Amino acid sequence: MLRYLAVRAFRAAVTIALVVTFAFVVLRMSGDPAILIMGPEVPPEALAAFRRAWGLDQPIWVQYVRYFGAILNGDLGMSMRDNRPAIEMVAERIPATLALTVPALVLKLAVGIPLGVWAALHQGTGFDRAVMVAAVFGFAIPSFVLALVLVLVFSVDLGWLPSGGQGTVAHMILPVLTLGLGGAAALARFTRSAMLEVLGRPYIRTASAKGLPWAAVVRGHALPNAAIPTVTLVGFLVGSLIAGAVVVESVFSWPGVGRMLVVAVASRDLAIVQCILLLVAATMVTSNLVVDVLYGVLDPRLRHGARAAA
Amino acid sequence: MLITRRSTLRAGAAAAATLALPHVARAQGARPSVTVAVQKISNTNTLDVLREQSNVGERIFFSSMWEGLIGRNWRGNLERIPLLATDWRRVDEQTVELTLRQGVKFHNGEEMTADDVVFTFSREKMFGDTEPKNRTTIRADGLGLFTVRPGKELPPQVPASARNAWPDLIAVEAVDRYTVRFVNGSPDVTLEGRLSRYGSNITSRKGWEDAPSYLDWARKPITTGPYMVESFVPDTRLVLVAFDDYWGGRPPLERVTFVEVPEVASRVNGLLSGEFQFACDVPPDLIPEIERNAAFEVQGGTILNHRITVFDKNNAQLADPRVRRALTHAIDRQAIVDALWAGRTVVPAGLQWPYYDDMFIADWTVPAYDPALAAQLLKDAGYKGDPIVYRLLNNYYTNQNATAQVLVEMWKAVGANVQIEMKENWGQILEPGPTRAIRDWSNSAPFNDPVSSLVAQHGPNGGQQQWGEYSNDELNRLCEVLETSTDRAARRAAFARALEIAEREDPAYTVLHQNATFTAKPKSIQWKAAPAFAMDFGPGAIAV
Repeated sequence: MLRYLAVRAFRAAVTIALVVTFAFVVLRMSGDPAILIMGPEVPPEALAAFRRAWGLDQPIWVQYVRYFGAILNGDLGMSMRDNRPAIEMVAERIPATLALTVPALVLKLAVGIPLGVWAALHQGTGFDRAVMVAAVFGFAIPSFVLALVLVLVFSVDLGWLPSGGQGTVAHMILPVLTLGLGGAAALARFTRSAMLEVLGRPYIRTASAKGLPWAAVVRGHALPNAAIPTVTLVGFLVGSLIAGAVVVESVFSWPGVGRMLVVAVASRDLAIVQCILLLVAATMVTSNLVVDVLYGVLDPRLRHGARAAA
Repeated sequence: MLITRRSTLRAGAAAAATLALPHVARAQGARPSVTVAVQKISNTNTLDVLREQSNVGERIFFSSMWEGLIGRNWRGNLERIPLLATDWRRVDEQTVELTLRQGVKFHNGEEMTADDVVFTFSREKMFGDTEPKNRTTIRADGLGLFTVRPGKELPPQVPASARNAWPDLIAVEAVDRYTVRFVNGSPDVTLEGRLSRYGSNITSRKGWEDAPSYLDWARKPITTGPYMVESFVPDTRLVLVAFDDYWGGRPPLERVTFVEVPEVASRVNGLLSGEFQFACDVPPDLIPEIERNAAFEVQGGTILNHRITVFDKNNAQLADPRVRRALTHAIDRQAIVDALWAGRTVVPAGLQWPYYDDMFIADWTVPAYDPALAAQLLKDAGYKGDPIVYRLLNNYYTNQNATAQVLVEMWKAVGANVQIEMKENWGQILEPGPTRAIRDWSNSAPFNDPVSSLVAQHGPNGGQQQWGEYSNDELNRLCEVLETSTDRAARRAAFARALEIAEREDPAYTVLHQNATFTAKPKSIQWKAAPAFAMDFGPGAIAV
């Protein structure tokens, strides 16, 4: 098990190094931060002074070596817009993003999984069809369209909820709904498929044939086996907690990491982008690592297989 | 049903018609407060006039926070008006003496004196280690030796922008408590204009000294305007609160809150639902949708900024000026104004504005729309139809993509094979190379003289020449005349000739139309938009 974890940790480190390198190359080769941050109308002297101050006048490989070396020393750099440590600025935004994404994740799980299971257990019924139609609709509708529709109904028309901004619990409702409904739809479809596949397996028939109550069959045999693919998806959802609300944060003017990422990419504020990407990569990698471990917990065959391989 | 931005907004407008008029935050007997939804509060996340040199900065700074010695009349035609100085006079061709307004208080309660003015224009606060052109005459007072306070190092772009605005200022002297002198290293008729420009605004010496760091100061600068900073969360919200000791009278609003709402649909929805009292940066195609609701109107119009198309004369296809001239004559500018701007802007008289006063060349016009002449010029130049690349950003300017498509068709109609290449950012637009030929730009006039626009952007030290797109020896000599001559007739003649070169003979650019900005608001709010990005909420400017 230790080797299993070590191999995955090594892969995770390589993944993060590749993410950092890729982001550096793409961002630095596709735009000059000086002109993007200061605008095309500022005097050329000001642009030159900015480039000198941030080392942007150095060869690109020198900038990369400096940047990567700093990261290895735990220094994620300074924001070129704010002249403040990038990690400090990103950390300030994380609570705002989590205030949306965590309740949205709970909503996705609370709505998506029970609906998916219920639809699978009642396959072919009107309820099943209704759930699936709603799921396809929820999955297919772009989040910015759903957001605008919700704003039109609940803010402009009914006047019940604010159309954007941050401040009270009321400000959170529409963005959380926008994030949560789409995710719940995807989760419902995924859970239903997983359940249907498991319910068709011979061991389910065997368990029923030997006289177990149907509820016990579902609880003891169907749900744990159907959980494996669902856990994979949930792993991705958890991994996207940090930067999974880019569009929604923009539409609702929510001052989170997603909006910060959009602004930082547009202005090529490299340190901020790298910091967020590192954070996202680390969250995603950690989440996948936990999912890998959970596979072993949920499915003894994987656990024993890993041990046998060791 | 296809849901588009247009249909969504139409539905929103219809729904809002059922609502009562927007509610403006107001406790009983207290002044009202307003919330203004903007696309961007500050590009640089600061409120420093020398660091945030942008249109969005102008909107939040003037006239709410920052004031200069000489102001611009936001409620008129932007003519110069006394502000923190009550009057000024020329001592000689290099020196202006100003009498300061007495009793002006900064937001920290301190009185504004000549010492604050001298400090504002000091090396410590403004110029850093940059040198004026005539450096041998630097004086010790004001712009001489200085020591940087720990944590107060200026960002490098601040001194660079300051020196660009004041290339030859060598001293600012306190004659007495309420009198200051600005001394230039060379004769300059534009000193008063430079004093009225964005960036020459006064801050408190004590406010600077009390701030722990430059960034702390730049996010809460101590100034003299009718509103002071209560809180600023970059990329999110700026709250200004009334400054009741304002020299110009009691501010009419308790608070002005600027909120950053990047999506135009969200800004309009927030306006319709009553959360915002102003929605800025409304594109022209949405104006009829908003005004369909009788409770709302869209204000605004032309501003001191022209949309231009820039040529790279070093490009193989554009090297012959006749090709560039052909492109300028192929454009039906009025058709663009009518079709894309609903007639809400104008085709100006070239790269100049009437507020130039005696420097305005009244009989000058943009190149006439003459497709036959354009086709003939291309033929005379021996143009064979080789592709000319038009590097384009995705709607950085309002209507930019649509305008570009119209231009390409107009050029095609006279035989020019112009091909659009979409680019993601300005770095890609300006990247030198054989395909750099045509691009978009805009040009503003920070003060009422061509030095602030034509010379600043297209002259020898301007962006176009610095980026290697253009050069013309005669134009450069004329720019020198404009910058240094005190003979107004000679300057006017130089400007007329410079326009002729840059827009007709050897085109550096061609003016398309004047830019415009539009702000939506409830009709119940009595407020008039300035002919600028600035939003005036000072005494007498708004009634809610």
